[in-house]
Amino acid sequence: MNPSPTPNVFLPKIAILDRVDSEIDDVKTFYWHFKDPADQEAFRVFRPGQFAQVSIFGVGEFPASLPPSPTENEYFFTIRQVGSVTAALHQLKPGAVFGVRGPYGNGFPMEEYYGRNLVFVAGGIGLIPLRSCIVYALHFRKKYKKIQIFYGSRVPKDLLYLETLRKWQKTEGFECHLTVDRSTEGWNGPVGVVGSLFKKPGVSVPVENTVAFVCGPPIMFRFVIRDLKTMGFEDVNIVSTLERYMKCGVGKCGHCCIGVAYVCVDGPVFTYAQIQKLGEEI
Amino acid sequence: MRAKVIDRAEVLKIVDLLRKDYEVLAPFCGRGRDTFFDIVTDENRDQIQIHVPNPYYPPKRFVLPHIERLLKIEQHDHTLRVEPTYDEEPRAIFGIRSCDVAGIYHLDRFYLGGKFRDIYYEKRRKNLFLVNMVCTDPELDIDEECFCVCADTGPAARDHFDLQLMDLGAEFMVVAGSARGEALLAHPLFKNGTAEHLEKRRRILEEARGHFKKANSWFAATIRYMTQDRILEKTWEEVGHRCLECGGCTYVCPACTCFSVTDRQVGPGEIERIRLWDSCALGGFTRMAGGFNPRRAVHDRRNRRFFRKLAHYFIQRELSMACVGCGRCVAVCHGDVGMPSVVEMIRRATAANEKHEPVTNA
Repeated sequence: MNPSPTPNVFLPKIAILDRVDSEIDDVKTFYWHFKDPADQEAFRVFRPGQFAQVSIFGVGEFPASLPPSPTENEYFFTIRQVGSVTAALHQLKPGAVFGVRGPYGNGFPMEEYYGRNLVFVAGGIGLIPLRSCIVYALHFRKKYKKIQIFYGSRVPKDLLYLETLRKWQKTEGFECHLTVDRSTEGWNGPVGVVGSLFKKPGVSVPVENTVAFVCGPPIMFRFVIRDLKTMGFEDVNIVSTLERYMKCGVGKCGHCCIGVAYVCVDGPVFTYAQIQKLGEEI
Repeated sequence: MRAKVIDRAEVLKIVDLLRKDYEVLAPFCGRGRDTFFDIVTDENRDQIQIHVPNPYYPPKRFVLPHIERLLKIEQHDHTLRVEPTYDEEPRAIFGIRSCDVAGIYHLDRFYLGGKFRDIYYEKRRKNLFLVNMVCTDPELDIDEECFCVCADTGPAARDHFDLQLMDLGAEFMVVAGSARGEALLAHPLFKNGTAEHLEKRRRILEEARGHFKKANSWFAATIRYMTQDRILEKTWEEVGHRCLECGGCTYVCPACTCFSVTDRQVGPGEIERIRLWDSCALGGFTRMAGGFNPRRAVHDRRNRRFFRKLAHYFIQRELSMACVGCGRCVAVCHGDVGMPSVVEMIRRATAANEKHEPVTNA
């Protein structure tokens, strides 16, 4: 057996909550740091698209996307309150302690995409994992060609990271298009599903040498894939990140399996070509 | 490998020897068919069973307990202590059957392989000594449900044990399968065997193989259909209809690995994080917070169990299929969708569906 000591992958590191920002209904962003500076430093190796296991001691543990880019200086989670552990997290006040272990998963191979066009398509809170890639790509802006962001939500008040989106819309050098399914008062942007943005006048999505990142609810995912395929995108050039119920994050507990893949270690990032070969419907 | 012999009357002295260094677990009889592994004490030592129907509750639990504590957490107003708790008790299992030895080896490949090693499993496993008993008694050892001969794990394990015992009548043949086993064989209890012993062993083993009358599980065909995605949806639906979703098959399976993790309050400010066996048969297994369940249909969940056990991708990764042929799922399943039945349902339905075109010269 292995002579070097085995690290305990189930042992969370202690984290301290710094501040909480309300984003949209039921969604908050939690800024935090590790109690131990060594842990804080060690975590810096994470890549866009990876995730962490968050512990609220006494309540449980859940997997959470890492919305910050490794090029930023702060760690945070953006979490929707859906179950018991996320509800407990939403109750925490600055100064509270909780547990974090990770980073886990494969992440997006951002270096492999150097020299290519990037198209980000997100729906609702699907923007959370893609935020990391977008910030990363903008940080290394010169490494990539055209960068386009297409983001939609049901109603204007469900648009996540709105301040950042507004900033992105005003920044030169890349495009950021927003849409909503239903307009409400005060909204003067486009109305329609996110795929309708591809055909908006003045928008031209390159297909050659392009990677399309897609993340959002299942129905949005299905339609966006159809739109991209119609435009001529090949399956290998469409990437997404999947979510599943997980208990361990390290390829052992078996909950997150889809066909041959353990989403936590073989994913969560898959190309659409890989998704079709998993051997089970997603 | 070194082989020796021990007198029949002396065989439980191996347990006495092991008890000096290990907590020893051995099979005992309960009521009726019920048998179980229990800790050997001075009181129960003489009731240890040599030939016995394999206990339904698999000895897997000595490396992966049904419920185990991972972390001890103390949380008070301003303090938080999180401490892992390990079980490093040296244990020996006396009389583990060949199928279960293969099961533990499968778990080794899974829990100690891959990208991450499981430290809780590792600490138990490296302190575990296995004394394998070869199943030779057609009345007691070999059940109607047994199909280790189809899974290529028995009746005599070829490796992954520390010591192997086989009943030759007046004596037992003892084979060492590890350095620890060999060290034990140096004890004067064990005598050198002769060519006659080896011949007897070969004959008894051959005879034992003949007792697996009902074992005809055509894994090869099913693995091929599974891997090539040729199994009909209606076969899965049929399997699904017969599944009562009790989870029994997974709880008795020596090669099932899935678990859940949960926190429980054990006192004021005292919390335990525990892990416990979980089952892909159960509806909540893949249900996410918010209610979305990617594997809602029963037959999708049944598909999952057999796909995970038999798909070539996993066999390649773990070097064995995740079925050891112990027959426990056959015994506990109320809907008769244990492994051999499903293997046969798949083989029959898939083969019948495929047209075999004659070879022509055209």
